[in-house]
Amino acid sequence: MAEFNNAVKEVNVESVKASQRTSKIIRYTITYLFLGIMAIIVIFPFYWMIISSFKTMDEYRANVPTLWPQNFVFENFTTAFSKANLLDLFKHTLYVGLVSTVLSLIVTILSAFAFARLNFKGKNLVFGLLMATMMVPGELYTITNYLTVSGRLPFISEPVEAFDITNTFAVLIFPMLVSVFYIYLLRQTFMQIPNELYLAAKVDGTSDFKYLWKVMLPLSVSTIITITILKMMGAWNAYIWPRLVANDAAHQLITNGLRGASFTDEFGETNYPAQMAAVTIVSIPLFLVFVFLRKYIMRGVSRSGIKG
Amino acid sequence: MKKFIALMLLVCMLVCGFLTACNNNSDNNPDDTGSQGSKTSHTVPTGDVTVTFYHTMGKNLSDVLVKYIAEFNKVYPNITIDHQTIGGYDDVRDQVITELQAGKQPALAYCYPDHVATYLRSKKVVDLNEYINDETVGLTQAQIDDFIAGYYAEGQQFGDTSKMYSLPFSKSTEVMYYNKTFFDNNGLKVPDHWFSASANDETSLEYVIKKIKEIEPTSIPLGYDSEANWFITMTEQLKTPYTQAVDKVQDRFLFNNEKNIEFCEKFRSWCQNGLMTTQAIYGGYTSGLFTNTTANEEGKVIHSYISIGSSAGATYQCPAKSDDGSYPFEVGIATIPQADASNKKVISQGPSITMLKQKDQTVNDAAWIFLKFLLTSPEFQAEFSMASGYVPVLKSAFELDAYKEFLSGANMTKDGIAALSAKICMEQESAYFTSPAFIGSSDARDEVGKLLVAYISAASTATQDELKKLFVDAYNRCVTLNQ
Amino acid sequence: MNNAVTIKKQKKPKAVKDNFESSSNFKAWLYLSPALILLIIFSFYPLINTFRMAFLNGYNGLAIVGGEKFTIGIENFKTVINYVDFKLCLKNTLLLCVVTVPISTTLALLIAVALNSIKPLQKFLQTVFFLPYVTNSIAIGMVFNAMFTRVGLGDLIQTQGIINNIIGIFGIEPINFVNVGSSWGANMFVVCTYIIWNAIPFKILVLLGGLQNVNKQYYEAAKIDGTSKIRTFFRITIPLVSPMLAYVIITSFIGGFKEYSSIVGIFGDGMGPGSNGQMNTLVGYVYNMLPKSNSGNASAASLILFGIILIVTAINGYVSKKKVHY
Repeated sequence: MAEFNNAVKEVNVESVKASQRTSKIIRYTITYLFLGIMAIIVIFPFYWMIISSFKTMDEYRANVPTLWPQNFVFENFTTAFSKANLLDLFKHTLYVGLVSTVLSLIVTILSAFAFARLNFKGKNLVFGLLMATMMVPGELYTITNYLTVSGRLPFISEPVEAFDITNTFAVLIFPMLVSVFYIYLLRQTFMQIPNELYLAAKVDGTSDFKYLWKVMLPLSVSTIITITILKMMGAWNAYIWPRLVANDAAHQLITNGLRGASFTDEFGETNYPAQMAAVTIVSIPLFLVFVFLRKYIMRGVSRSGIKG
Repeated sequence: MKKFIALMLLVCMLVCGFLTACNNNSDNNPDDTGSQGSKTSHTVPTGDVTVTFYHTMGKNLSDVLVKYIAEFNKVYPNITIDHQTIGGYDDVRDQVITELQAGKQPALAYCYPDHVATYLRSKKVVDLNEYINDETVGLTQAQIDDFIAGYYAEGQQFGDTSKMYSLPFSKSTEVMYYNKTFFDNNGLKVPDHWFSASANDETSLEYVIKKIKEIEPTSIPLGYDSEANWFITMTEQLKTPYTQAVDKVQDRFLFNNEKNIEFCEKFRSWCQNGLMTTQAIYGGYTSGLFTNTTANEEGKVIHSYISIGSSAGATYQCPAKSDDGSYPFEVGIATIPQADASNKKVISQGPSITMLKQKDQTVNDAAWIFLKFLLTSPEFQAEFSMASGYVPVLKSAFELDAYKEFLSGANMTKDGIAALSAKICMEQESAYFTSPAFIGSSDARDEVGKLLVAYISAASTATQDELKKLFVDAYNRCVTLNQ
Repeated sequence: MNNAVTIKKQKKPKAVKDNFESSSNFKAWLYLSPALILLIIFSFYPLINTFRMAFLNGYNGLAIVGGEKFTIGIENFKTVINYVDFKLCLKNTLLLCVVTVPISTTLALLIAVALNSIKPLQKFLQTVFFLPYVTNSIAIGMVFNAMFTRVGLGDLIQTQGIINNIIGIFGIEPINFVNVGSSWGANMFVVCTYIIWNAIPFKILVLLGGLQNVNKQYYEAAKIDGTSKIRTFFRITIPLVSPMLAYVIITSFIGGFKEYSSIVGIFGDGMGPGSNGQMNTLVGYVYNMLPKSNSGNASAASLILFGIILIVTAINGYVSKKKVHY
């Protein structure tokens, strides 16, 4: 990006204009070249995933990996589909995804607002505590949380049946609802909004809630959409926890359904091409959601541009 | 500074929490340990019962299972079998361990001996002898004798031979695949032992691979899939120490000894001379090397002519058909080489089933009825084996017409090779072994696998001390991982 | 980064902020309560439980079910520290963080800025850069392995791998990246590449979100003043996205310390070429312990990690307090 600065000090107006044009062309060339190369690097594994889903197991196991399937087989997709009751799986996943996204957004917005705009005793302590929860490997949480939702509570030796919420939708939604990452992200965005606006609103007698709803949220649309996408994706890709707590037919989510149906072959070995096919199937709706929501990101940005 | 104080406070809070919480840990008293030990007799449940069964079956296998569950339900309509594909063997293990801690374990689960050894610490594994010896629901002597003895014994390998913690479900072992066309063309004999006794010992593997390398220098004559299996099998064949199930952690791992170094040294010289490779050293499936027909980046087609791998993976050892419909070469299958003709040993693999204690004993009783139904049915065993590539654990399954027909279809094609390897499997039925299972036995297995790779692939400049240190390190890892 | 301070001073009426909101104690807790209640049950309690398990000698979840009792002490910590590969795990973990976080953040920032500066193809490229986010780690890990793996023995090579083929065009000798006998440095290179690759899409998403929220007037003002592009980048762009940058850096440090799955993706459970464990990390150790339900050792290792992350985050927080512009 450095090249375009050199020629600026020419005296002649004509040559300044000409050199500006050249530097602009050079700049764009470099920008596109850079983006193009990065794009190829970034896209390659995605490409690989898709072509692998069309390969036979034999070709997948071949010593020299092929960049293009020798012959396309669609069998992996039918394998991935055949046993799983796909409609139900989609329904469950959509339900859990939507409910947990909406609830999570509410919780995240409220907390981020408190951390960004309100002053209260122990703010730093609570925020520090929140950050601390991110630092422990998730697997350790899983065991304790599993005991909790199974009704094994601290200080009580016998499991409490009433607290056993395994095999419900609630157990898929609530333990994962609060993400400190999202609270942190939104807090950062909120803190960018000039304080003057808030003070002005206070002077006008606008309530905190109204201010949050009318001013802060519209200004943070893009971050909120980012969070929505991430949360939806989380629900979509969740695997270990749902398998543990709600793997019955009435609550099974898509990733579990597909995995359980097809990912091991008759020797108990992983059938990678079928797995790739399943991952591809699972990825497509996510990808579409992103393509669809991207417009809203743009809209949110332009809107915030007008008001800010 | 404020932040730092906040963090300090946090740490204090957590420590306080810990001190108050730790008092309750011992409340989880195991109310039911040993209560089943008294000789209560078991009965066939009459009420509605649901039995959960975790396995790793893919669709084609679970179809067979579903068919037999339907058969089972004709006789016992009140017993519902909730069977679930969990993933791979390790996934089943991880899920069972977690569920055991919450008291929600399945009644039946696929298992390997290492898994059972881990579960045992929870005292929730049912001693199947209680059921086997039961007067009303037990097994007859004929039914027990129908199990292939080597497989049946696996369930008793947990320190106390009077207890039976698992029953065999389906089994496989390692076999030797060789390029029959190449062997016939060059007048090579199929090797039956590892090391040459003399320079002209034609039936030794050592002689054969050296000969192959002479005939075709751009080949890697031998590929061995699993390094861990190789090490463990060698210790069994040579009767050298590997592991033992004892209380003291330091005494459990015995593989660091001169005799084991000796065979590693031998294999090292083979590997360094380009005579053999393993999956890790080669960087790809050795079955891929065996069946390879495509030229590499320099235009050479590199082969192996002998491949030792699982009998259940036979279809991968068969090359793809050429365009004209013929096979590029014929595959022969033989038993793996031995070290001592009087002490033949091959490793036993494949899943067993273990039963875990339930809150309601009738669930266990129902689980037993189902287990008995599956494992004493030669029809199920035969059908399952034909769908899977594993071999039945019941002798009577081999007598069934359907299975005989399957075996008679044994040939060198993709369709027939599974039957061919099943045949070879059965031939060495008496040589099957399992190594002792205890907490940490899976670490020993992992470590000797890594050890063999590191030893035989170490740079040619490596000193004796450096090589010996590999053994010491492996031992130390095993011990520290299990303290 | 000093530039951030100049702009900050113009915009932040700090004194006003402080005396205005002290009354909102109750309201703040009300807003926080849904998050806090859930966090107490599903995050703080497990965290406390981790402490408890770490200080019970040889704690084992299955043994608890079996009725065994444990004494309080620091045996678990001793075991972890005495583990043969502990130092190696620690070294790998630290190095992975120090190398990958700056590189991936810089790259993501450059891509985000470049994306923000173009019109044609912007939407398309944005979508492309998001793609890796919808793939899953199994797929990606296998691809990386396939790209770097050399297949063969000694002189008899089937394939050197795609990467070696590419660098071969420039006359560079093939390198053993991930196979048996490969060096620790070569492994580290591959793992770092993978982690950077893996981390970039999310960072671009967040940074681009931040950039698109930036008021265009700042840039126009800079343009009129004739400020050079590089100066604009450092004086305007970076300060304005600094909250997002701080977020991205802190979370990726935390993520970096918990690195595990990418190494499994490339090398498998053995955490190194030929399963020799030379790329193992602290979380790798934790995962080694869990299948044996050795929660005591796993918890102790987690707490050591926790301590390290805590210190790094505190330093991070301190620095960003000085540099971040809100």
